[in-house]
Amino acid sequence: MGIDNPPPNSSQASTTGQPQRSMAEWVTFIGATVILLTLVGVIIYDWQVNQDRPPAFNVVVAESIRITDGRYYVPFVITNTGGRIANGVQVIAELDIPGQGEETGEQQIDFLSGHEQKEGSFVFNHDPHRGDLVVRVASYRLP
Amino acid sequence: MPHPTPWRTELQAILRGIAGGFLFGIPLLYTVEVWAIGSATDPRWLLVVLGLTLLVVWLLTQVEGFRQTLALRPLEAILETIEAVGIGVLCAALALLLLRRITLATPLPEATGKLVFESVPFSLGVALARSTFQTKRSRDRRTTAPLSRRLTSPTLAKVRDTLVDLDATLIGAVLIGLSIAPTEEVPLVAASLPPLWLLLVMAASLVLSYTIVFASGFTDRTERLQRGLLLSPPTETLVAYVVALAVSAIMLVMFQQLSPSDPWQEWLSDILVLGLPASIGGAAGRILI
Repeated sequence: MGIDNPPPNSSQASTTGQPQRSMAEWVTFIGATVILLTLVGVIIYDWQVNQDRPPAFNVVVAESIRITDGRYYVPFVITNTGGRIANGVQVIAELDIPGQGEETGEQQIDFLSGHEQKEGSFVFNHDPHRGDLVVRVASYRLP
Repeated sequence: MPHPTPWRTELQAILRGIAGGFLFGIPLLYTVEVWAIGSATDPRWLLVVLGLTLLVVWLLTQVEGFRQTLALRPLEAILETIEAVGIGVLCAALALLLLRRITLATPLPEATGKLVFESVPFSLGVALARSTFQTKRSRDRRTTAPLSRRLTSPTLAKVRDTLVDLDATLIGAVLIGLSIAPTEEVPLVAASLPPLWLLLVMAASLVLSYTIVFASGFTDRTERLQRGLLLSPPTETLVAYVVALAVSAIMLVMFQQLSPSDPWQEWLSDILVLGLPASIGGAAGRILI
C-alpha cells in the first residue's frame, strides 16, 4: 500500500521541497571533516607514541639564586620526559650545610603531562652555595 | 524579502550553530575538573567520547539540527552530524585558546584531551541551535525521511511522538547533568549520605520532576496527554526518571568518575545523586523543548 500512495513528506522531498545540498553546505562538510579527521589523527598519533612510555622526571636547578630579605630563592624547572601524565608529583629539596644541620623544602605538582615543563622555587634560610643541595622527585601517582 | 543566496544561508546556519555551541559549551568550559580529566585521559577513551558525541548529535539531528531544513534524508542527517561536531570542535578550540587553557606550550595529549571533552557540550549546542534560536515556539519539528515507507503508520507516529518526549527528557537531563557530572561535588555528596537517605533523594527527584511537568500548570496538560504514548503522568515521570538515571550513569562513566573497579555502592549513590539534577533537567526539557 505504501508504494501506491507515498506519504506527502517523501514525495515533496524527492521533487520540489528538498533541493540538493548546496555548494556552500559541501564546503562546510569538507571543513568539518578535515577538523575531525585531524583531531582523530592526533589522538591516534599520541596513543602510538606516548602511551607505553611511563612518566620520568628531570629536575634542573637554576644557578642564579635570588636573595630577598635574607632568604634564598632557588628556582627549578621540572620536565616530564616520559609519555604519560603524572599526578601529584612530589619534588623534594634537601639542603645540607655542614655544621648547621639540614633544611628541606617540598613541592606538589598537580598534573604534569608527558613532555610538559613546570617551574617553581624553593626558599631557604641558608645560602645553598655553602652547602650541598639535592633536588629530586620523591613520588607521583598515575591518574 | 530578497532571495538569500545559498552561501548566505549557509553562513547564517554556521553562525547559528556557533552561537548555540557557545551557549551550551560555556558552563563546562569554566569547570576545572574537565581540564584535569581531559589532560589525564587515555587516547582510546578520547576516541570513545568522540564517537559517543557523534552518536548523540546524530540522534539530535533527527529532530533538531543547526540548519533550517525541516525534511531530511538519512544520509543528510549523517552529513549534518559531522558538520555539527566539526563546528563544535572548532568553537571549543577557540574558547580554550581564548582562556589560555591551551597554549603553544601545552603538550599535545593534554590539548587533545581538553579539546575532546569540551567539544561535547559545544557539539550538543550546535545540534540544538535551530530550536534554541527559533523565535516562534511552534512545533515544527524536523522529520527524517523513513528508511522504509512502512514506518509511517499512525501507531508508529505515536511511538515517534513518545520518543520526541523522551528525546526532550534526554536533552534536558544531559544539559543540566553535563556541567555537574565531572565535578568533585558528586562523589563528595554521595559519600556523605547515610544509606537510607538515597531513598529520600530518589523520592525528591520523582516529586520534583512530577511537579515541574504536571502539577505546576506550566504547560497545557491535555495537549500533552493526547500527544504521544506516554501514559499517565506517574508513569511518564517514572520513565523519565529512568532515562535521567541512565544519562547520569553514562556521563559519570564518560568523565571517569566511575570505573568498573569501583564498588557497586559507589555506583549506586553517585548515579542517584546526579540523578536529582538530571531528572529536574529532564522535566524542564519536556516543557521547554
